[in-house]
Amino acid sequence: MDNLLEIKDLHAGIEGKEILKGIDLSIRPGEIHAIMGPNGAGKSTLSAVLAGRPDFSVTQGSISFAGHDLLAMSPEERAWAGIFLSFQYPIQIPGVSITNFLKSAVAAKRKATGEPELSPAQFLKLLKEKMALVKMKGEFAKRDVNVGFSGGEKKRNEILQMAMLDPVLSILDETDSGLDVDALKIVADGVNALRSPEKSAIIITHYKHLLDLITPDVVHVLKNGRIVATGGLEIADRIQNEGFDGING
Amino acid sequence: MDRVYRIGIDEVPKRLNLNDCEQLRLIFIVMPGVSADIPFEINIEKEGVELEILGLYLSPHSERVKFNITVRHMVGGSHSRQLFKGIVGGSARAEFDGLVYVAKGAQKTEAFQENHSLLLDNGATVETHPQLEIYADDVKCSHGATSGYLNPDELFYMRSRGIPEAEARKLQMISFVSPVISHLNETMQNQIISRL
Repeated sequence: MDNLLEIKDLHAGIEGKEILKGIDLSIRPGEIHAIMGPNGAGKSTLSAVLAGRPDFSVTQGSISFAGHDLLAMSPEERAWAGIFLSFQYPIQIPGVSITNFLKSAVAAKRKATGEPELSPAQFLKLLKEKMALVKMKGEFAKRDVNVGFSGGEKKRNEILQMAMLDPVLSILDETDSGLDVDALKIVADGVNALRSPEKSAIIITHYKHLLDLITPDVVHVLKNGRIVATGGLEIADRIQNEGFDGING
Repeated sequence: MDRVYRIGIDEVPKRLNLNDCEQLRLIFIVMPGVSADIPFEINIEKEGVELEILGLYLSPHSERVKFNITVRHMVGGSHSRQLFKGIVGGSARAEFDGLVYVAKGAQKTEAFQENHSLLLDNGATVETHPQLEIYADDVKCSHGATSGYLNPDELFYMRSRGIPEAEARKLQMISFVSPVISHLNETMQNQIISRL
């Protein structure tokens, strides 16, 4: 089967500083890839570049997503094509409720992909169903996006958005950081419930814990802007025991 | 009690003396295309008054808007809170002069004043001159002012969810003005949102 995502010799950075120094990565439909690495390895840069954050620039290489040139697409076009980034630090938007935020996002995606508009009742039904998935109570949807949320609430809100937008490729950027065991389980259950043979995910993490709950097909180790090792869960075990220092490909 | 003044449409008193009411909220609205000087003074002459003054100026083109607001606490034990927010673009210029005066002996006064502007273009100008003149010693008073551009992190967050850039900018503006417009009726809220 064709690759869903194909990254070739990707060099990218911010403000003239090169952070990714030649990444090659292929992901097939249905696969979950974990990317592990120490701080500063380039994990968040990779997720930012995939989602199209404007302050990062790609200096070399290519990314193809479902046959399209991803780098030529705006962030919103990438979202419409099925890319979703769960932010490591979700952004607060005072004055905009979760309901209105998701209404705009879902409506824009359906319009762009030629799907019929949801009626208000259909939208609310969908929202209720997806909120149950991440164990959120109804009144939560009235709150302003991420304003005054605890760490766990922010991450559950990310997974709620992911569930509502039904992406083909989900990128979870350190979704586990700062979560207690219960919140981590809610997030993992939410992600697992959305798994399907067509859908892929990239899970970026420092720790093996999340990978015990969401089993990846492939584990990569990113160090100094390069993938230095690729394998199965045994790599995560090695990192757990020996740290990142011992992994040099 | 709420009083809404649409600048250029409603007559605005230049001066009010507050001596009989307990609670008052005044809202000044300057819509796009309106240039105006808005001098306004209010004297609080009664204890236990809760006064709120809100202002919104939408000046996206070449408007000139100038607020000159004076709040005088002549007696103690009253609270005033001012919040002025504006979106300024093109070559427009907005100015906010705000004086809070606390008379001698007006103890236990609380007076807060804030002015925040969102700049849409490099050619837009905002100027803010907050002033506190305090002759009592047991008071809580503060002022704050900010001006800045739309937050790029917010914008990217929304776009990454598939909200088109133009709509994301509009949502940011709605978010910015919401502390003021949330006190208006729905018709007025919609009128304002449609002009952002």
